[in-house]
Amino acid sequence: MSAELALAGVIAAPLLQALLVIVLSRPPGLRDVTHFAGAAVTALCAVLLLNATAQGEVARIAVARPLPNVELAFALEPLGALAAMVIGGLGLLHALHTAGMVRAAKEKAPARLMAFIALTTAASMAAAFSANLFTFFVAYQALILASFPLVAHRGDEEARKSARTYLAVLLAASIGLLLPAMVWTYAIAGPHEFRAGGVLGGRVDAMTANALLTLYVLGLAMTAIPPLHRWLPASSNAPFPAIVTIQALAVLPIGGVGILKVAAFEFGAALNEAVIAGRALLVVVGVGMCGAALIALSKRDVRERLAYSVMGQSLAVVMGALLASPIGFFAAALQVVAVACAASTLLMAAGTTPGGDWPRNAPDYAGLGRVMPWTFAGFALASASMIGMPPFSGAWAKLWLLTAAASVDLVWAAGLPASPRC
Amino acid sequence: MLTGAGGLIKELPARVAPFASALTLCVSAGWSGALLAPNLIGVFAGVETAWLAAVGLVALSAVRDNAGLNGAFRMLAAGGAASALMLLGAGLWWRAAGGGTLAMMSLAQIDAPGLAIAGVSLVLAALALKAAIAPLHLWLPAAIGRTRALAPLVLGVVGVLGALMALTRVAAAALPAPDLGAAVAAGLGVLGVASVVIGSVQAIGSTNLIRLTAYAGVAQGGCALLSVALGSPAGFAAGLVQIAALGAAALALLGGAAASGGSSLSALDGLARRAPLASVAITAGALSLMGAPLTLGFLGRWRMIEASVGADWWWAAAAAIAASLAGVFYGGRLIERVYFRRAAEAQEINRDPWRFALTPALAASIVAIGVGLAPAPLLNAATVAASMLSRGAP
Repeated sequence: MSAELALAGVIAAPLLQALLVIVLSRPPGLRDVTHFAGAAVTALCAVLLLNATAQGEVARIAVARPLPNVELAFALEPLGALAAMVIGGLGLLHALHTAGMVRAAKEKAPARLMAFIALTTAASMAAAFSANLFTFFVAYQALILASFPLVAHRGDEEARKSARTYLAVLLAASIGLLLPAMVWTYAIAGPHEFRAGGVLGGRVDAMTANALLTLYVLGLAMTAIPPLHRWLPASSNAPFPAIVTIQALAVLPIGGVGILKVAAFEFGAALNEAVIAGRALLVVVGVGMCGAALIALSKRDVRERLAYSVMGQSLAVVMGALLASPIGFFAAALQVVAVACAASTLLMAAGTTPGGDWPRNAPDYAGLGRVMPWTFAGFALASASMIGMPPFSGAWAKLWLLTAAASVDLVWAAGLPASPRC
Repeated sequence: MLTGAGGLIKELPARVAPFASALTLCVSAGWSGALLAPNLIGVFAGVETAWLAAVGLVALSAVRDNAGLNGAFRMLAAGGAASALMLLGAGLWWRAAGGGTLAMMSLAQIDAPGLAIAGVSLVLAALALKAAIAPLHLWLPAAIGRTRALAPLVLGVVGVLGALMALTRVAAAALPAPDLGAAVAAGLGVLGVASVVIGSVQAIGSTNLIRLTAYAGVAQGGCALLSVALGSPAGFAAGLVQIAALGAAALALLGGAAASGGSSLSALDGLARRAPLASVAITAGALSLMGAPLTLGFLGRWRMIEASVGADWWWAAAAAIAASLAGVFYGGRLIERVYFRRAAEAQEINRDPWRFALTPALAASIVAIGVGLAPAPLLNAATVAASMLSRGAP
């Protein structure tokens, strides 16, 4: 399979999966097999793309030209391939988990749930492989719209209220902040593609760079940066398969990928012009990380506790991007992988309980390790990774973040990765 | 629109349906005439023909109470006042510049600049009233609120669009004129911002789909006006694209409302199960109003923001963003109701086969919104039209 075909497949496969799951929703076994098969094809395409990237291959596909000189295009590049591998690989496990969970919990409209999970995956892949800022924005909006029904899935008043918060915060931030930033960037640099080293270097003065950076970081509210983080706890009211998709496999990781793409492929050297905004946003991120950790500690509801915990980890990705150094970018990319793995394990384990009647509060989990030893062993390992305990992946990501902070003489920021250790 | 109108005419009593058909065609003819007329008097004649036909249509479409007829009367009164102003404005222009065609307006020898500005301003204000630009739109809710589906469809799609296009035409002729340009641009800018703000606020607070569409149209019309106020070929092209987007979204929403058999927002609850095609149309219209990417609405907003940034009109770009943000609220509400709520009562599904007459209208609206994927023909057409309009612009 050529790289172009794999690139098309990694986005088209989950779209087809969504359609087939709805069409073949009966009998339930066929639905589950379809869902898993679609996830398997997606994961296979992601593996092929990662391999192609490692071989140095280049691939690009243009789907449409919705604006003059601006294409809706996807390109193979290492960061996108890494994100796709994480999303696709963990998505395969998640597909199995979803098939079991919807039966155990007797979830209503399981085919619809699976279809929107697949659509969310498709949008995530599109964002990961976006070749330019416009394509990323389109995929970002599509991700918001595809994931919003997951939050509203249960259809009760609480779900609708949560979904409204989710949609309002993410859409308002993307349209009110990210879109102006994008248009401004196009006005400065003209039509362009993502490019290592950035495109704004040498074209913007300090004031413009600071304003743009602020708009981008706050506009990418999928990173759960305060004060635009309200969507994350709101999403905790969704069914567990949906929570895994939103908090571990799609929305949060793509927020991290987005901030990295903007920092590395749009700003590049121009980040050195945006020092004031960079430092201020680092303070906001730091406050957010510490605050999220403290709030998580105060929550009894396991879903909310995990949501705030994951929020703190996600903000570490933003921290890495804002450190404006190659080490910082590397650390942030590593953190995306570590958080996705740990968060998905934690959430899948937390939602898997005997009889499908899952306990809501943390004290209710007492003794479950004896009943479900493997599940909660995974929970323990994921927790260890999340808090940065060696030799788990989270530890290395945090180590690199510490190194990155020290390399740019921000000693106070070096302490931040230690904060979300709950 | 005509296909949809044909289906909706069947809702009217048999004795008035032929008159409604004729009036619908008169509305279209009047606005077409206004767009093709060579001078202000010709524009006036076309506008009046369309307006009076629309008043008659609203009166015929009223359900059996006084509210609908009251709406028609308010429309007649507002239109009458606007017509008087328009005629006065045309007269003042004639006095100041000796008449001439619209195409020569920018080159006219103006003897009395004050009179010319007053005249053109009155003409534009009259057209703004007929295009339902806030705060001159107060006739709109009464005119469409208590009528059958035909009147909102014709008024909302043909009437408002026709008026906006006529306004664009006259403004494009006046903006390049050295004595007129600055004043006209300032006036259009103020009206545009006011329309965006007022229309958005009213749309957010609306509980009736038809009124929500109308107020959303007011806000979108304000964006189109801001684009035109830029006075550049890019601005005119952006305005034309936005007018097209407004028409597509209005057609989608109003067509979907007609197919759903109800106009209140609660009638949309659970519509996805009862009328999937109408739900898709409403969703497409809502997404376009939000400015979701790959819709015609997004294309219009993008072009407007591009043109505004190019002219250093940052406040106009901010108004476009504000309109999109408001669209998120009122458009998102529609999508939530359609897909994520259940109907409170059992709703009878209308299996009238003539409902299929609405399908072409719905399909056309969906296609128009999907044009966002391949907009080159529309953009080229808008660019050519804009260059024709701005002949003589700097």
